[in-house]
Amino acid sequence: MEQYSGHTRMLMRGCLLAAAAAATSVMGALPVSAADEVNQERLLNVDKEPGNWLHHHQNYSAHRFSTLKEVNRDNVKNLKVAWTMHLGGIEGGGIWSHGGLEGTPIAENGFLYVTDGWGSVYKIDAHGGRGVLVWKMDPKTDRDWAGAVACCGVDNRGVALWGNLVISHTLDGRLIATNKETGQVAWQRTVADPDKGEVITGAPLIVKNMAITGVAGAEYGIRGWIAATDLTTQKEVWRTHTIPGKGEPGSETWKDSDNAAAAGGGSTWVTGTYDPAADTIVWGIGNPGPDWDNAYRPGDNLYTDSSLALDATTGKIKWHYQHTPNDPYDYDSVAENVLVDIPGPSGPRKLSLEADRNGFAYAIDRTNGKFVWGLPFVKKVTWTKGLDPESGKPIEYDPSKSVQTYIASVTPSRTNMETDICPGNMGGKNWPPTAYNPDLKLWYIPVIESCNRIKVEVMTPDKLKKREFWTGGGPAQPFKITGSVTAIDVTTGKVAGKMETPFPNLGGILATPDLVFTGQPSGEVMALDAKSLQKLWEFNTGGGVNAPPMTFTVDGKQYVAILVGLGGAWDKWFIDSTPELKKIQPGSMLYVFAL
Amino acid sequence: MMIFNRFPTAAGVLLASGIALNFAMLATAYAQSAGASDPTNAGKAVFSRANCVGCHKWHGNGGGGYGGDALSLRNTELTRDQIIETVGCGRPGTGMPFFMRGAYDEVKCHDMSRQDAGAQMPPEGGTFLRPKDIEAVADYVIVHIKGAGEPTYAECVAFFSSTSRVCDVYKAPAQKPDDAATKMGKGQ
Repeated sequence: MEQYSGHTRMLMRGCLLAAAAAATSVMGALPVSAADEVNQERLLNVDKEPGNWLHHHQNYSAHRFSTLKEVNRDNVKNLKVAWTMHLGGIEGGGIWSHGGLEGTPIAENGFLYVTDGWGSVYKIDAHGGRGVLVWKMDPKTDRDWAGAVACCGVDNRGVALWGNLVISHTLDGRLIATNKETGQVAWQRTVADPDKGEVITGAPLIVKNMAITGVAGAEYGIRGWIAATDLTTQKEVWRTHTIPGKGEPGSETWKDSDNAAAAGGGSTWVTGTYDPAADTIVWGIGNPGPDWDNAYRPGDNLYTDSSLALDATTGKIKWHYQHTPNDPYDYDSVAENVLVDIPGPSGPRKLSLEADRNGFAYAIDRTNGKFVWGLPFVKKVTWTKGLDPESGKPIEYDPSKSVQTYIASVTPSRTNMETDICPGNMGGKNWPPTAYNPDLKLWYIPVIESCNRIKVEVMTPDKLKKREFWTGGGPAQPFKITGSVTAIDVTTGKVAGKMETPFPNLGGILATPDLVFTGQPSGEVMALDAKSLQKLWEFNTGGGVNAPPMTFTVDGKQYVAILVGLGGAWDKWFIDSTPELKKIQPGSMLYVFAL
Repeated sequence: MMIFNRFPTAAGVLLASGIALNFAMLATAYAQSAGASDPTNAGKAVFSRANCVGCHKWHGNGGGGYGGDALSLRNTELTRDQIIETVGCGRPGTGMPFFMRGAYDEVKCHDMSRQDAGAQMPPEGGTFLRPKDIEAVADYVIVHIKGAGEPTYAECVAFFSSTSRVCDVYKAPAQKPDDAATKMGKGQ
C-alpha cells in the first residue's frame, strides 16, 4: 500500500505524459534486482522457475501446465479460499452496460499482475498468505470510443513482463509499458485504431525484446494484422496483415469485384505461441467479414479461419492451414495453437494443436503446415459430415466453387436466409484456453456444446460504414447451450474423456500433474482428476467464471488463482441460451485458493 | 468534469454546487452551451440509462451484429404513441425488451398477457421505466432521432459531450483533430 500513496494517486490522475516523465526520475531512485528483470532467457526456460507464471499461456507453447503438485489428487478436497481482492473495471461504455474479467494473472516472485476489462493493471503482493495492492495503473481508456466497436465485451486478457516493465494493452488500441516497481507509465504507443473498428483485448506475447499485438474487429470491417513493437526503441518492427494485399500470394482467394478483402476481417485477438527452435510464431486468425453473407466475398478468403506461422524476426508468413474456407458460420480460428512434440516412428512429431470454433480439433505438422489429424470435440456437428482424412478440409469443400455451401440445408446463405447450425456461432470452443499435460499427453478443451439460429442479411458495398457492424446477419438463441471439458489423447488423436457441465465453459483450463482446474459461468471453480475427469473439488465463487485459472507459489506454498466476473460476449449476445445465467451479477474479484 | 458533462442537467448543477463553486459554474456554462433548456434532455438520459444505446447505438440507427438487427429509429415511421407502446411493451417475437413494470402481468400489452404471448414474450428490460421516463425517451426519439438522416458530428458531440474520441469518425477529413497524443503514438 505504501506506493499507493496520495502522491502516486495524484500522478496517476494526471496526464500520462506527466506520469511517464515522473516515472523516469523515480526509476533511477529505485534499484531493481536482476532476478526480477524478465529477459528472453527466463521466458525460454520457465520450467526452471515453476513457482512463477511468466507467460499469458504459461509457456511459449501454450501448455498452461504447471508442475506444482503440493495441491494434488489426494488433498485437493481440502482446498480453501486463502484470500480475495475486489477489483474495479465493471463500468459500462459504448454499447456495453458493464465490463468483465477474462484475464490470466501473471505471477513473479510472489507478486501477481492482473487486469480488469478496461485495461487497468493491478500489482498485488501475495506474500504472507494475503493479497495487498501495491499499485494500480489506470490507462484511462476512452470507453465510449472503444466500447462502441468492441463486438464482444469490455475485455482485457492480461499482461506480460519484460525487463522491469509490465506490458499491457487497452481496448482503445494502445500498448503500454508500466514500471514494475512504481506503477508509473514508462511509455505508450498507439497500435490499433478504434476509428477503423480496431480494438485490442488480448495479452501481448513477448518474443526477443518485441511485444506482439493482435487486433479485434472482424465484425466492424477491419483488415486484420499482427504487429511487433520493439520494447527498447518503441518502434514498430513489422506488421503482417492477415489478408493479403493486392497481388500478394493468397489475394487470388478474394474473387469479388467490390474489394471485399479491404474489410475482410481476419482478426487476431487471442495471444499466439512461439517455437524458438524454428523462430516461428504461430497465431490463430479470425473469421472473414461479413460473417454470414459469404457470397459477398467469393473465394477461400485467406488467411481467415487459419493457423498462420510467421517468421518471428521479420513477420513473413511461413505457412498457413485454413480450417473453414469461405466461412459462412463465423467459425473463426482465432484460438491459441498449442505446440506439442510427440514421439513418432521416425523421430518426434512437431505438432501444432488448435480447437476450432467449427467444432473440430486439429493437429498440424508445424514444420510445414500439413494436416496430421482432426476430429470433432463437440457432441453435435451439423454443417459437415466430417474432415477429409488426407487434407483435413471439410468433406463437402469444393475448390472449384467460389461460394462454399457445405451441407447446404443447414448452411446460412442467400438462398437459406434463416437456419439452425451446430456448433452455434460462438463455436465449439471460443477464446477460453485449452491446457496440455505433457506427462499424460492429454489435451483438455473447454467446450461450448451448442447450436444456434442464424439469419442472413445480404450485404452491399454501401452498407459498409466506419465503426458500424459488418456482419451480414445475426444469431438468435432458441436452444439451450451446455458445456464440457473434453480430453484428447494427442498420441492417437481420439477423445479420451468428456466431463459434461450444465453451462458452457467460458473460462478455460489449467493442468497440473494429476489435476485439471476449470470453472463455470454459474460460479463454480472446480478441480477434476486429470485422467478420469471426475470432479474432486468445487467451490462456488458467487460470481460468473469467465477467466482461466492459474497456479503459483509464494514462500514455497502453492496457490491457485482465478479472476471472477462475468462479462464478455455471453451475457449480452448469448444469454438467452442459458437463461439461468441472467441471475449472475456483474462483478470483479480475484480469488486465491490454498490448502 | 466528466460527471458534469454527462449530466448537464439541473441535478448536475445542484450536485456540482454542493461540491465546489467553480465546478458549479463550469457545469452551468456547459449546460447552457449544450442547451439546458432542451426539454428532451431527460429523455436523452433515459436513452443512455435504459441501455437503448446497447442495440440502437447512440445515433439510433441500430444495425446488424451479434444481437440481430435492432431497427433504425432514424428511419422509423412510428408515432409518439407507438414508440411509447413499443418501449413499454417491447416487440413480441423480437429482442426489443419491455420497460414497463407489470407489462403482460398487471397490464395487458398488445392485448396479451404473459400466457397469451407464450414463446413470443419479449425480454424484460435491464431497468424498468416510469411512464414519465417512457414519454421522455419517446419525445427525445421524435425530436432528435426520427427522420434525422445520417448521424453527424454535431449530433454525436451533443450526445456524448466532448470527453471521448467517439465522435471523431463523423468529422470531415479537414476537421480531423491534430491530437498530440495520437500523433506522438503513431509517430513512434
